[in-house]
Amino acid sequence: MPRRVVITACSAITPIGYGKETIVNSLRQGKSGVKPLRDDGLLTDHIHSRVFGTVDYPIDYGFTRRYTKTMGPVAFYACRVAGDVLAQSGLDEKFITSGRLGVAFGSTHGSPTVQRNIYKTFFGNLKEEFSSIGAVDYLRSMVHTTAVNITRMFGITGRVIASSTACTTSSQAIGFGYEMVKYGMQDAMLCGGADEYDTTTVAVFDNLLACSVDFNDTPERTPRPFDSDRDGLVVGEGGGAVLLEEDEAAKKRGATILGEVIGFSCNNNGGDLILPNLDGITATLKLALDDAGIGPDDVDLISAHATATKMGDVIEAQAIDAVYGDRPLVTGLKSYMGHCMGTCGVIELTMLLYMMEQGFVAPTLNLDNVDPRCAMLNHVRELVEQRIRIVALENFAFGGVNTCLLIQNGRHLT
Amino acid sequence: MRRDELQTKILAILEDDFEFEHPGLDDNLRDEHGFDSIDAIELLGKIELMLGFSLNRAEKEKAMSIRTINDILDYIEKIQASHQQ
Repeated sequence: MPRRVVITACSAITPIGYGKETIVNSLRQGKSGVKPLRDDGLLTDHIHSRVFGTVDYPIDYGFTRRYTKTMGPVAFYACRVAGDVLAQSGLDEKFITSGRLGVAFGSTHGSPTVQRNIYKTFFGNLKEEFSSIGAVDYLRSMVHTTAVNITRMFGITGRVIASSTACTTSSQAIGFGYEMVKYGMQDAMLCGGADEYDTTTVAVFDNLLACSVDFNDTPERTPRPFDSDRDGLVVGEGGGAVLLEEDEAAKKRGATILGEVIGFSCNNNGGDLILPNLDGITATLKLALDDAGIGPDDVDLISAHATATKMGDVIEAQAIDAVYGDRPLVTGLKSYMGHCMGTCGVIELTMLLYMMEQGFVAPTLNLDNVDPRCAMLNHVRELVEQRIRIVALENFAFGGVNTCLLIQNGRHLT
Repeated sequence: MRRDELQTKILAILEDDFEFEHPGLDDNLRDEHGFDSIDAIELLGKIELMLGFSLNRAEKEKAMSIRTINDILDYIEKIQASHQQ
Protein backbone atom coordinates (compact mmCIF):
# COMPACT_ATOMS: atom_id res chain seq x y z
CA MET A 1 0.00 0.00 0.00
CA PRO A 2 1.65 3.27 -1.11
CA ARG A 3 2.27 5.73 1.71
CA ARG A 4 1.84 9.51 1.71
CA VAL A 5 5.07 11.49 1.72
CA VAL A 6 5.38 14.87 3.39
CA ILE A 7 8.09 17.53 3.47
CA THR A 8 9.08 18.45 7.01
CA ALA A 9 12.10 20.70 6.43
CA CYS A 10 13.83 22.68 3.70
CA SER A 11 16.88 24.89 3.31
CA ALA A 12 18.71 26.54 0.43
CA ILE A 13 21.87 28.51 -0.25
CA THR A 14 21.06 30.58 -3.32
CA PRO A 15 22.28 33.59 -5.29
CA ILE A 16 19.41 35.58 -3.69
CA GLY A 17 20.20 34.55 -0.14
CA TYR A 18 20.46 31.80 2.43
CA GLY A 19 17.58 31.10 4.77
CA LYS A 20 13.84 31.78 4.57
CA GLU A 21 13.84 35.44 5.55
CA THR A 22 16.49 36.56 3.06
CA ILE A 23 15.11 34.47 0.21
CA VAL A 24 11.51 35.60 0.77
CA ASN A 25 12.61 39.24 0.94
CA SER A 26 14.49 38.88 -2.35
CA LEU A 27 11.49 37.23 -4.01
CA ARG A 28 9.09 39.87 -2.71
CA GLN A 29 11.39 42.73 -3.72
CA GLY A 30 12.28 41.30 -7.13
CA LYS A 31 15.98 41.23 -6.26
CA SER A 32 18.29 39.43 -8.68
CA GLY A 33 21.30 37.36 -7.63
CA VAL A 34 22.94 37.51 -11.06
CA LYS A 35 26.34 39.25 -10.89
CA PRO A 36 29.41 39.68 -13.11
CA LEU A 37 31.17 36.34 -13.72
CA ARG A 38 34.10 35.93 -11.31
CA ASP A 39 37.53 35.55 -12.87
CA ASP A 40 38.84 31.97 -12.60
CA GLY A 41 42.24 32.73 -14.11
CA LEU A 42 41.67 30.10 -16.78
CA LEU A 43 38.52 30.21 -18.91
CA THR A 44 36.77 33.48 -18.18
CA ASP A 45 38.65 35.53 -20.78
CA HIS A 46 37.45 33.12 -23.48
CA ILE A 47 33.79 33.07 -22.45
CA HIS A 48 31.37 35.48 -24.10
CA SER A 49 28.80 35.32 -21.31
CA ARG A 50 30.09 37.37 -18.35
CA VAL A 51 27.23 36.88 -15.90
CA PHE A 52 26.72 34.30 -13.15
CA GLY A 53 24.18 33.50 -10.43
CA THR A 54 26.54 34.20 -7.57
CA VAL A 55 26.67 33.23 -3.90
CA ASP A 56 28.79 36.17 -2.70
CA TYR A 57 27.98 36.35 1.00
CA PRO A 58 29.94 34.68 3.82
CA ILE A 59 28.60 31.42 5.25
CA ASP A 60 29.69 30.32 8.70
CA TYR A 61 30.14 26.59 8.16
CA GLY A 62 31.95 25.72 11.39
CA PHE A 63 32.96 22.29 10.03
CA THR A 64 36.09 20.73 11.55
CA ARG A 65 38.90 19.20 9.54
CA ARG A 66 37.65 15.75 10.50
CA TYR A 67 34.93 16.38 7.91
CA THR A 68 36.38 19.01 5.60
CA LYS A 69 39.29 16.81 4.55
CA THR A 70 36.99 14.91 2.19
CA MET A 71 34.96 17.92 1.04
CA GLY A 72 35.27 20.14 -2.03
CA PRO A 73 33.29 23.40 -2.23
CA VAL A 74 30.20 21.55 -3.49
CA ALA A 75 30.10 19.38 -0.36
CA PHE A 76 30.28 22.48 1.86
CA TYR A 77 26.99 23.67 0.34
CA ALA A 78 25.52 20.16 0.57
CA CYS A 79 26.47 19.48 4.19
CA ARG A 80 25.35 22.93 5.32
CA VAL A 81 21.81 22.56 3.93
CA ALA A 82 21.65 18.90 5.01
CA GLY A 83 22.54 19.92 8.56
CA ASP A 84 19.90 22.64 8.39
CA VAL A 85 17.08 20.28 7.44
CA LEU A 86 18.06 17.66 10.00
CA ALA A 87 18.09 20.31 12.73
CA GLN A 88 14.85 21.87 11.47
CA SER A 89 13.07 18.51 11.27
CA GLY A 90 13.68 17.69 14.93
CA LEU A 91 14.49 14.06 14.08
CA ASP A 92 16.58 12.49 16.83
CA GLU A 93 20.02 10.95 16.35
CA LYS A 94 18.69 7.46 17.01
CA PHE A 95 16.43 7.70 13.95
CA ILE A 96 19.00 9.52 11.80
CA THR A 97 21.50 6.68 12.32
CA SER A 98 18.93 3.85 12.30
CA GLY A 99 19.15 2.93 8.63
CA ARG A 100 15.56 4.05 8.07
CA LEU A 101 16.74 7.46 6.82
CA GLY A 102 18.42 7.54 3.41
CA VAL A 103 20.07 10.20 1.29
CA ALA A 104 19.27 11.15 -2.31
CA PHE A 105 21.61 13.96 -3.22
CA GLY A 106 23.63 14.90 -6.26
CA SER A 107 25.58 17.44 -8.25
CA THR A 108 26.30 18.00 -11.91
CA HIS A 109 29.84 16.63 -11.77
CA GLY A 110 31.16 16.59 -8.22
CA SER A 111 33.74 19.26 -7.54
CA PRO A 112 35.25 20.79 -10.69
CA THR A 113 37.47 22.97 -8.49
CA VAL A 114 39.20 19.89 -7.06
CA GLN A 115 39.30 18.22 -10.48
CA ARG A 116 41.13 21.27 -11.85
CA ASN A 117 43.71 20.98 -9.10
CA ILE A 118 44.31 17.35 -10.07
CA TYR A 119 44.80 18.36 -13.71
CA LYS A 120 47.23 21.09 -12.63
CA THR A 121 49.31 18.34 -11.05
CA PHE A 122 49.17 16.27 -14.23
CA PHE A 123 50.11 19.10 -16.53
CA GLY A 124 52.24 21.17 -14.16
CA ASN A 125 55.89 20.93 -13.31
CA LEU A 126 55.59 19.34 -9.90
CA LYS A 127 58.04 16.70 -8.72
CA GLU A 128 56.35 13.68 -10.21
CA GLU A 129 58.10 11.20 -7.97
CA PHE A 130 56.28 12.55 -4.92
CA SER A 131 52.66 11.91 -4.04
CA SER A 132 51.56 15.27 -5.36
CA ILE A 133 47.96 14.26 -5.97
CA GLY A 134 46.28 14.40 -2.58
CA ALA A 135 45.01 11.11 -1.22
CA VAL A 136 41.57 12.61 -0.72
CA ASP A 137 41.20 14.38 -4.05
CA TYR A 138 38.96 11.63 -5.38
CA LEU A 139 36.71 11.77 -2.31
CA ARG A 140 36.45 15.53 -2.67
CA SER A 141 35.73 15.52 -6.40
CA MET A 142 33.81 12.31 -7.17
CA VAL A 143 30.31 12.56 -8.54
CA HIS A 144 28.67 11.25 -5.35
CA THR A 145 30.78 13.41 -3.05
CA THR A 146 27.79 15.42 -1.79
CA ALA A 147 25.71 12.38 -0.80
CA VAL A 148 28.45 10.54 1.05
CA ASN A 149 29.89 13.55 2.80
CA ILE A 150 26.38 14.07 4.17
CA THR A 151 26.18 10.44 5.36
CA ARG A 152 29.64 10.75 6.90
CA MET A 153 28.97 14.01 8.73
CA PHE A 154 25.61 12.96 10.19
CA GLY A 155 26.11 9.20 10.55
CA ILE A 156 23.32 8.32 8.13
CA THR A 157 23.30 4.59 7.35
CA GLY A 158 20.33 4.16 5.00
CA ARG A 159 20.20 4.01 1.21
CA VAL A 160 22.28 6.35 -0.92
CA ILE A 161 21.08 7.60 -4.31
CA ALA A 162 23.48 9.99 -6.02
CA SER A 163 21.65 11.26 -9.06
CA SER A 164 23.74 13.16 -11.57
CA THR A 165 21.64 14.24 -14.53
CA ALA A 166 22.68 17.87 -14.93
CA CYS A 167 19.66 20.15 -14.55
CA THR A 168 17.33 17.40 -13.25
CA THR A 169 19.79 16.14 -10.63
CA SER A 170 18.00 17.42 -7.54
CA SER A 171 14.46 17.06 -8.86
CA GLN A 172 15.32 13.41 -9.57
CA ALA A 173 16.78 13.13 -6.05
CA ILE A 174 13.51 14.42 -4.60
CA GLY A 175 11.45 12.19 -6.88
CA PHE A 176 13.47 9.07 -6.18
CA GLY A 177 13.44 9.91 -2.46
CA TYR A 178 9.67 10.28 -2.64
CA GLU A 179 9.36 6.83 -4.23
CA MET A 180 11.66 5.32 -1.56
CA VAL A 181 9.31 6.51 1.18
CA LYS A 182 6.08 6.02 -0.76
CA TYR A 183 6.82 2.34 -1.37
CA GLY A 184 8.24 1.67 2.09
CA MET A 185 11.93 1.17 1.22
CA GLN A 186 12.86 3.93 3.68
CA ASP A 187 10.85 5.89 6.26
CA ALA A 188 12.52 9.20 5.48
CA MET A 189 14.87 10.59 2.83
CA LEU A 190 17.14 13.63 2.90
CA CYS A 191 17.04 14.88 -0.70
CA GLY A 192 18.62 17.66 -2.69
CA GLY A 193 21.55 18.85 -4.70
CA ALA A 194 24.41 21.30 -4.87
CA ASP A 195 26.69 22.83 -7.45
CA GLU A 196 29.71 25.04 -6.86
CA TYR A 197 31.08 27.99 -8.82
CA ASP A 198 32.33 26.52 -12.07
CA THR A 199 33.21 28.14 -15.37
CA THR A 200 33.43 24.83 -17.25
CA THR A 201 29.64 24.67 -17.37
CA VAL A 202 29.45 28.29 -18.52
CA ALA A 203 31.98 27.57 -21.28
CA VAL A 204 30.01 24.54 -22.49
CA PHE A 205 26.70 26.41 -22.74
CA ASP A 206 28.53 29.42 -24.18
CA ASN A 207 29.95 27.25 -26.98
CA LEU A 208 26.45 25.95 -27.67
CA LEU A 209 25.24 29.56 -28.04
CA ALA A 210 22.86 28.91 -25.13
CA CYS A 211 24.28 31.46 -22.66
CA SER A 212 23.13 35.04 -22.20
CA VAL A 213 25.62 37.53 -23.68
CA ASP A 214 23.66 40.74 -24.29
CA PHE A 215 23.40 41.85 -20.66
CA ASN A 216 26.99 41.55 -19.47
CA ASP A 217 26.93 45.17 -18.25
CA THR A 218 23.51 44.83 -16.60
CA PRO A 219 23.53 41.33 -15.07
CA GLU A 220 20.28 41.82 -13.14
CA ARG A 221 18.40 42.13 -16.47
CA THR A 222 19.13 38.51 -17.41
CA PRO A 223 18.00 35.74 -17.65
CA ARG A 224 14.64 36.76 -19.15
CA PRO A 225 12.36 33.69 -19.28
CA PHE A 226 9.56 33.93 -21.85
CA ASP A 227 10.59 37.51 -22.77
CA SER A 228 11.05 38.55 -26.41
CA ASP A 229 14.57 39.80 -25.65
CA ARG A 230 15.79 36.67 -23.85
CA ASP A 231 19.15 35.54 -25.13
CA GLY A 232 20.00 32.45 -23.14
CA LEU A 233 20.58 31.01 -19.72
CA VAL A 234 22.80 32.22 -16.90
CA VAL A 235 24.69 29.56 -14.93
CA GLY A 236 24.55 29.80 -11.14
CA GLU A 237 25.66 28.06 -7.95
CA GLY A 238 24.14 26.97 -4.65
CA GLY A 239 22.67 24.09 -2.72
CA GLY A 240 19.37 22.96 -1.30
CA ALA A 241 17.82 20.15 0.71
CA VAL A 242 14.41 18.90 1.75
CA LEU A 243 13.48 16.23 4.25
CA LEU A 244 10.81 13.77 3.12
CA GLU A 245 9.00 11.62 5.69
CA GLU A 246 6.21 9.12 5.78
CA ASP A 247 3.08 11.12 6.58
CA GLU A 248 1.73 9.27 9.61
CA ALA A 249 5.07 9.04 11.40
CA ALA A 250 5.72 12.73 10.78
CA LYS A 251 2.34 13.75 12.19
CA LYS A 252 2.70 11.37 15.13
CA ARG A 253 5.92 13.03 16.22
CA GLY A 254 4.40 16.50 15.78
CA ALA A 255 6.55 17.55 12.83
CA THR A 256 5.75 20.73 10.93
CA ILE A 257 4.31 19.74 7.54
CA LEU A 258 5.53 22.17 4.90
CA GLY A 259 4.07 20.27 1.96
CA GLU A 260 3.28 16.90 0.49
CA VAL A 261 4.85 15.33 -2.58
CA ILE A 262 1.77 13.98 -4.37
CA GLY A 263 3.25 13.09 -7.75
CA PHE A 264 6.49 12.59 -9.62
CA SER A 265 7.36 11.74 -13.18
CA CYS A 266 10.60 11.23 -15.03
CA ASN A 267 11.09 10.22 -18.64
CA ASN A 268 13.49 10.62 -21.51
CA ASN A 269 13.04 12.09 -24.96
CA GLY A 270 14.58 8.96 -26.45
CA GLY A 271 16.67 10.75 -29.02
CA ASP A 272 18.45 14.08 -29.19
CA LEU A 273 20.52 14.82 -26.08
CA ILE A 274 20.34 18.62 -26.33
CA LEU A 275 17.24 19.89 -28.11
CA PRO A 276 14.03 20.29 -26.07
CA ASN A 277 11.35 17.86 -27.14
CA LEU A 278 7.65 18.76 -27.05
CA ASP A 279 6.39 15.17 -26.96
CA GLY A 280 8.77 14.17 -24.18
CA ILE A 281 8.01 17.19 -22.00
CA THR A 282 4.26 16.95 -22.56
CA ALA A 283 4.34 13.29 -21.59
CA THR A 284 6.25 14.15 -18.39
CA LEU A 285 3.65 16.69 -17.31
CA LYS A 286 0.82 14.19 -17.93
CA LEU A 287 2.64 11.34 -16.17
CA ALA A 288 3.02 13.45 -13.01
CA LEU A 289 -0.72 14.17 -12.97
CA ASP A 290 -1.43 10.45 -13.43
CA ASP A 291 0.92 9.57 -10.59
CA ALA A 292 -0.84 12.04 -8.29
CA GLY A 293 -4.27 10.95 -9.48
CA ILE A 294 -5.35 14.53 -10.14
CA GLY A 295 -6.37 16.52 -13.20
CA PRO A 296 -4.82 19.66 -14.70
CA ASP A 297 -7.55 21.82 -13.16
CA ASP A 298 -6.32 20.88 -9.67
CA VAL A 299 -2.97 22.62 -10.23
CA ASP A 300 -2.82 26.32 -9.27
CA LEU A 301 0.75 27.18 -10.18
CA ILE A 302 3.38 25.99 -12.64
CA SER A 303 6.99 26.58 -11.68
CA ALA A 304 8.45 26.40 -15.17
CA HIS A 305 11.98 25.21 -15.92
CA ALA A 306 12.21 28.40 -18.02
CA THR A 307 15.94 28.78 -18.54
CA ALA A 308 15.44 31.65 -21.01
CA THR A 309 16.92 29.85 -23.98
CA LYS A 310 15.32 30.78 -27.27
CA MET A 311 13.78 27.41 -28.11
CA GLY A 312 13.51 25.84 -24.66
CA ASP A 313 10.99 28.38 -23.37
CA VAL A 314 8.81 28.08 -26.47
CA ILE A 315 8.68 24.27 -26.31
CA GLU A 316 7.93 24.36 -22.58
CA ALA A 317 5.17 26.95 -23.12
CA GLN A 318 3.61 24.70 -25.78
CA ALA A 319 3.74 21.70 -23.44
CA ILE A 320 2.17 23.64 -20.55
CA ASP A 321 -0.52 24.93 -22.90
CA ALA A 322 -1.25 21.44 -24.20
CA VAL A 323 -1.64 19.94 -20.70
CA TYR A 324 -2.92 22.84 -18.59
CA GLY A 325 -4.16 25.53 -20.96
CA ASP A 326 -4.14 29.10 -19.70
CA ARG A 327 -5.68 28.58 -16.25
CA PRO A 328 -2.77 27.99 -13.82
CA LEU A 329 -0.33 30.75 -12.95
CA VAL A 330 3.11 30.30 -14.50
CA THR A 331 6.35 31.65 -13.00
CA GLY A 332 10.02 31.16 -13.85
CA LEU A 333 12.19 31.36 -10.74
CA LYS A 334 15.50 31.15 -12.59
CA SER A 335 14.91 34.79 -13.49
CA TYR A 336 16.08 35.61 -9.92
CA MET A 337 19.26 33.60 -9.77
CA GLY A 338 20.12 32.03 -13.08
CA HIS A 339 20.27 28.31 -13.61
CA CYS A 340 21.90 26.67 -10.60
CA MET A 341 22.31 23.46 -12.61
CA GLY A 342 22.00 20.29 -10.52
CA THR A 343 20.55 22.15 -7.58
CA CYS A 344 17.90 24.17 -9.44
CA GLY A 345 15.03 21.79 -8.67
CA VAL A 346 15.48 21.73 -4.91
CA ILE A 347 16.16 25.47 -4.71
CA GLU A 348 12.99 26.15 -6.68
CA LEU A 349 11.04 23.73 -4.45
CA THR A 350 12.32 25.50 -1.33
CA MET A 351 11.21 28.85 -2.74
CA LEU A 352 7.81 27.39 -3.64
CA LEU A 353 7.37 26.02 -0.10
CA TYR A 354 8.12 29.49 1.30
CA MET A 355 5.63 31.07 -1.12
CA MET A 356 2.95 28.48 -0.33
CA GLU A 357 3.41 29.05 3.38
CA GLN A 358 3.22 32.83 3.08
CA GLY A 359 0.52 33.00 0.42
CA PHE A 360 2.22 34.77 -2.46
CA VAL A 361 3.61 33.99 -5.91
CA ALA A 362 6.79 35.73 -7.07
CA PRO A 363 6.60 36.94 -10.67
CA THR A 364 9.00 36.03 -13.46
CA LEU A 365 11.63 38.79 -13.42
CA ASN A 366 12.58 40.64 -16.59
CA LEU A 367 9.41 39.56 -18.37
CA ASP A 368 8.87 42.96 -19.97
CA ASN A 369 7.51 41.85 -23.35
CA VAL A 370 6.16 38.32 -23.55
CA ASP A 371 7.33 36.43 -26.62
CA PRO A 372 4.17 35.95 -28.72
CA ARG A 373 5.04 32.25 -28.99
CA CYS A 374 4.81 31.97 -25.18
CA ALA A 375 1.90 34.37 -24.71
CA MET A 376 -0.82 31.73 -24.41
CA LEU A 377 0.06 31.09 -20.75
CA ASN A 378 -1.11 32.83 -17.58
CA HIS A 379 2.26 34.43 -16.75
CA VAL A 380 2.82 35.95 -13.31
CA ARG A 381 4.24 39.38 -14.13
CA GLU A 382 3.62 41.11 -10.81
CA LEU A 383 3.68 39.69 -7.31
CA VAL A 384 0.39 37.94 -6.57
CA GLU A 385 -0.94 37.52 -3.02
CA GLN A 386 -2.67 34.18 -3.41
CA ARG A 387 -2.77 30.94 -1.45
CA ILE A 388 -1.50 28.13 -3.66
CA ARG A 389 -2.78 24.60 -3.01
CA ILE A 390 -0.93 22.53 -5.61
CA VAL A 391 2.15 23.47 -7.64
CA ALA A 392 3.85 21.64 -10.52
CA LEU A 393 7.66 21.95 -10.55
CA GLU A 394 9.17 21.27 -13.98
CA ASN A 395 12.84 20.60 -14.74
CA PHE A 396 14.50 19.36 -17.92
CA ALA A 397 18.11 18.37 -18.58
CA PHE A 398 20.71 17.75 -21.23
CA GLY A 399 20.50 14.09 -22.12
CA GLY A 400 16.77 14.44 -22.76
CA VAL A 401 15.78 13.84 -19.13
CA ASN A 402 12.53 15.45 -18.00
CA THR A 403 11.00 15.59 -14.51
CA CYS A 404 7.86 16.98 -12.93
CA LEU A 405 7.07 17.08 -9.20
CA LEU A 406 3.60 17.87 -7.87
CA ILE A 407 3.57 19.45 -4.42
CA GLN A 408 0.58 20.12 -2.19
CA ASN A 409 0.60 22.97 0.34
CA GLY A 410 1.27 21.72 3.87
CA ARG A 411 -1.30 24.07 5.37
CA HIS A 412 -4.02 21.81 4.00
CA LEU A 413 -2.60 18.81 5.82
CA THR A 414 -2.26 19.82 9.49
CA MET B 1 67.71 15.04 10.15
CA ARG B 2 68.07 14.68 13.92
CA ARG B 3 65.14 13.42 16.00
CA ASP B 4 64.52 16.80 17.68
CA GLU B 5 64.41 18.51 14.24
CA LEU B 6 62.05 15.83 12.95
CA GLN B 7 59.86 16.25 16.03
CA THR B 8 59.58 20.02 15.51
CA LYS B 9 58.66 19.57 11.84
CA ILE B 10 56.15 16.75 12.39
CA LEU B 11 54.44 18.63 15.23
CA ALA B 12 54.18 21.71 12.99
CA ILE B 13 52.63 19.63 10.20
CA LEU B 14 50.15 17.99 12.56
CA GLU B 15 49.16 21.32 14.08
CA ASP B 16 49.04 23.36 10.87
CA ASP B 17 47.77 20.88 8.29
CA PHE B 18 45.88 18.36 10.43
CA GLU B 19 44.50 20.82 13.00
CA PHE B 20 45.84 18.87 16.01
CA GLU B 21 45.41 20.69 19.31
CA HIS B 22 48.07 20.14 22.00
CA PRO B 23 49.52 16.94 20.50
CA GLY B 24 51.36 14.67 22.94
CA LEU B 25 54.15 12.41 21.71
CA ASP B 26 52.42 9.27 23.02
CA ASP B 27 48.81 10.27 22.30
CA ASN B 28 46.83 7.63 20.40
CA LEU B 29 46.46 9.42 17.05
CA ARG B 30 43.13 7.86 16.16
CA ASP B 31 41.41 8.01 19.53
CA GLU B 32 42.64 11.41 20.65
CA HIS B 33 42.98 13.31 17.36
CA GLY B 34 40.65 11.51 14.93
CA PHE B 35 43.62 10.59 12.69
CA ASP B 36 42.45 7.97 10.18
CA SER B 37 43.76 6.05 7.15
CA ILE B 38 43.10 9.02 4.85
CA ASP B 39 45.23 11.21 7.12
CA ALA B 40 47.97 8.58 7.15
CA ILE B 41 48.22 8.68 3.35
CA GLU B 42 48.23 12.48 3.38
CA LEU B 43 50.96 12.52 6.03
CA LEU B 44 53.13 10.14 4.00
CA GLY B 45 52.98 12.59 1.10
CA LYS B 46 54.15 15.37 3.38
CA ILE B 47 56.94 13.18 4.80
CA GLU B 48 58.15 12.48 1.25
CA LEU B 49 58.30 16.20 0.49
CA MET B 50 60.08 16.83 3.80
CA LEU B 51 62.71 14.12 3.18
CA GLY B 52 63.09 14.94 -0.51
CA PHE B 53 62.66 11.38 -1.80
CA SER B 54 59.84 8.98 -2.57
CA LEU B 55 58.82 6.07 -0.37
CA ASN B 56 58.29 2.71 -1.98
CA ARG B 57 55.11 0.69 -1.46
CA ALA B 58 56.64 -1.60 1.20
CA GLU B 59 57.83 1.41 3.18
CA LYS B 60 54.38 3.01 2.95
CA GLU B 61 52.63 -0.16 4.11
CA LYS B 62 54.84 -0.25 7.22
CA ALA B 63 53.48 3.19 8.14
CA MET B 64 49.98 1.75 8.59
CA SER B 65 50.94 0.35 12.03
CA ILE B 66 51.80 3.81 13.37
CA ARG B 67 49.76 4.74 16.46
CA THR B 68 51.60 7.68 18.09
CA ILE B 69 53.80 10.64 17.16
CA ASN B 70 56.78 8.81 18.65
CA ASP B 71 55.92 5.95 16.24
CA ILE B 72 56.04 8.47 13.36
CA LEU B 73 59.46 9.68 14.46
CA ASP B 74 60.76 6.10 14.85
CA TYR B 75 59.42 5.31 11.39
CA ILE B 76 61.10 8.32 9.74
CA GLU B 77 64.41 7.60 11.46
CA LYS B 78 64.38 4.03 10.12
CA ILE B 79 63.50 5.26 6.62
CA GLN B 80 66.29 7.84 6.72
CA ALA B 81 68.78 5.24 7.87
CA SER B 82 67.84 2.76 5.13
CA HIS B 83 68.09 5.44 2.43
CA GLN B 84 71.53 6.53 3.70
CA GLN B 85 72.93 3.01 3.34
